[in-house]
Amino acid sequence: MSIFEYNGSALVAMVGKNCFAIASDRRLGVQLQTIATDFQRIYRIHDKLFIGLSGLATDAQTLYQRLVFRHKLYQLREERDMKPETFASLVSAILYEKRFGPYFCQPVIAGLGEEDKPFICTMDSIGAKELAKDFVVAGTASESLYGACEAMFKPDMEAEELFETISQALLSSVDRDCLSGWGGHVYVVTPTEVKERILKGRMD
Amino acid sequence: MSKAAIEGPPKGGFSFDLCRRNEMLVQKGLNAPSFLKTGTTIVGLVFQDGVILGADTRATEGPIVADKNCEKIHYIAPNIYCCGAGTAADTEAVTDMVSSQLTLHRHHTGRESRVVTALTLLKSHLFSYQGYVSAALVLGGVDFTGPHLHTIYPHGSTDTLPFATMGSGSLAAMAVFESKYREGLTRDEGVQLVAEAISSGIFNDLGSGSNVDICVLTKGHKEYLRNHLQPNPRTYISEKGYSFSKKTEVLLTKITPLRDSIHIIEGGDEMEE
Amino acid sequence: MDLNSGDLNSPLSTGTTIIGVTYNGGVVLGADSRTSTGMYVANRASDKITQLTDNVYLCRSGSAADTQTISDYVRYFLHQHTIQLGQPTTVKVAANLVRLLAYNNKNMLQAGLIVGGWDKYEGGKIYGVPLGGTIIEQPFAIGGSGSSYLYGFFDQAWKEGMTQEEAEQLVVKAVSLAIARDGASGGVVRTVTINSEGVARKFYPGDSLPLWHEELEPHESLLDILSTSNPEPMVS
Repeated sequence: MSIFEYNGSALVAMVGKNCFAIASDRRLGVQLQTIATDFQRIYRIHDKLFIGLSGLATDAQTLYQRLVFRHKLYQLREERDMKPETFASLVSAILYEKRFGPYFCQPVIAGLGEEDKPFICTMDSIGAKELAKDFVVAGTASESLYGACEAMFKPDMEAEELFETISQALLSSVDRDCLSGWGGHVYVVTPTEVKERILKGRMD
Repeated sequence: MSKAAIEGPPKGGFSFDLCRRNEMLVQKGLNAPSFLKTGTTIVGLVFQDGVILGADTRATEGPIVADKNCEKIHYIAPNIYCCGAGTAADTEAVTDMVSSQLTLHRHHTGRESRVVTALTLLKSHLFSYQGYVSAALVLGGVDFTGPHLHTIYPHGSTDTLPFATMGSGSLAAMAVFESKYREGLTRDEGVQLVAEAISSGIFNDLGSGSNVDICVLTKGHKEYLRNHLQPNPRTYISEKGYSFSKKTEVLLTKITPLRDSIHIIEGGDEMEE
Repeated sequence: MDLNSGDLNSPLSTGTTIIGVTYNGGVVLGADSRTSTGMYVANRASDKITQLTDNVYLCRSGSAADTQTISDYVRYFLHQHTIQLGQPTTVKVAANLVRLLAYNNKNMLQAGLIVGGWDKYEGGKIYGVPLGGTIIEQPFAIGGSGSSYLYGFFDQAWKEGMTQEEAEQLVVKAVSLAIARDGASGGVVRTVTINSEGVARKFYPGDSLPLWHEELEPHESLLDILSTSNPEPMVS
């Protein structure tokens, strides 16, 4: 079994018109045993920047703590928030530092950059950035998510339509993955507000 | 948190903290993940007045196509570019590292970077990691001494050639070069030949795919042709998009309005106490 | 399936034929030009005879990365040495430096080297530096995978006090014999002749080499051979 399948996860981020959405499942498991059904996998770095961490939960939490620490240092030094591009490079550098003994984490980063231009990106566990214009996925359900997003995504969606699309893509994908599920957690971020919603899903 | 982390950002170099734990996990039967690879076709050739580099745009993670349009021609210096194959993180990190060293070197000397300098920096880094940093590169550039094309293998050996291919599609691309390359190609003939070699990789090698990227380097000039050819466009997208018959069931909604960023008013009153 | 990892992660090695021969007045070094990764010819026109100084050259066999690094270091050290000394280095000093690196790092390296050159004190000299990092002064030295086909030939063909032409012809003949029998050697033959006059590089294309037992004439295209031997199209 791969170490990525130890806890199970599903993560997806999509770009809309002047907005983005990032969504995850809510299950935390230890192999086939479910430990929690309200697990938070998406973390807020600042109001317009979110990171989802799939893979081994212990590494996800350690990595998150280091990222928050580094972001706070940046805020103190620079008196501003990080741009998503800068943050992605930071995550990449932190991951690549452990090239030969990696954190078993695949991050998904989504944020609004300069002039509220949406930015999404994912990486492998050693920090190879993959920038996309449409959507990015990660976790044990990534294969099904690729398929669902490839079919459902269309460019320049408004916030509400984006929410519907990402939710449907997430829920239909986790139904074909036994290691993730138990509803979903969706953030839709526009320049004016962050809408956080919890989705109902299958509970088996 | 470790002491080093509290003291501030690390100075550089790899950290081997997690190696023993990860080895323990592997012994328990929890296998390490595969990394993002660029099972690639990358090529380069020397033509009449410079160098042309070419690459496909597929990134893979095992059998999955992780990125359909990634960039494999990396910037090294204004007059030097480098195609990368192998583990994506390694090619990215190694080229970024060398390009930053060369930038500093240019500021120090006030001269244009040379291709051999980039070559030596790349090969000495790769050699010191004995092949564990798996980056296979095609380095091309035009400097004061003329056009140069080199290949660099992950173990740190280098070759100097008039035409070169690398990656899983290198055999397909080399077949094209071996049958059609000649000395003194014009720019257009060169671009055509490179595009043909990359296409041969895209269509005959499963690890390569999507589009053709090309970079033409001549004396004092660079031309980056991103997606020069797009032989594999999407054919299955629906115009109307996808409609959902039933809305998703939302259990809870939380809306956080965002504060407007503070605007600085030009010519406002001075602050007074 | 992944050709990429299989091919690229196996180190590049110069499965090679390299030769160094002394003659009356100097030395001749010779090598084939094939660099391979497993079954793939990564470079068919490589140069395995590397310059160390104006009067000393090095034939490389084994891992390409290791031997290139050794020669880069030795070239750098000898450059400094030449400046400090104010005159050309001797072949002995160069060979000893090669040996020093090969011996001190023998656990890390896979390198079989032949150093050859000319200096005013000892004339033309050939030093073999095989795998473990030992150094042997020899009248002639052969190395690489192709050398196993050449030991008997050299025992018979090498003569004390040959002329330059005889020595060059011997080297070209020997490399082409090895190319014919050894799969890991191939391409063209390169030679470097070093004597009191200076250095001369020569290049013999694959289709100009002598043909040996059962070897076929070179053809422009495979189709030439196929059409003469089997005029019928393939019918099952």
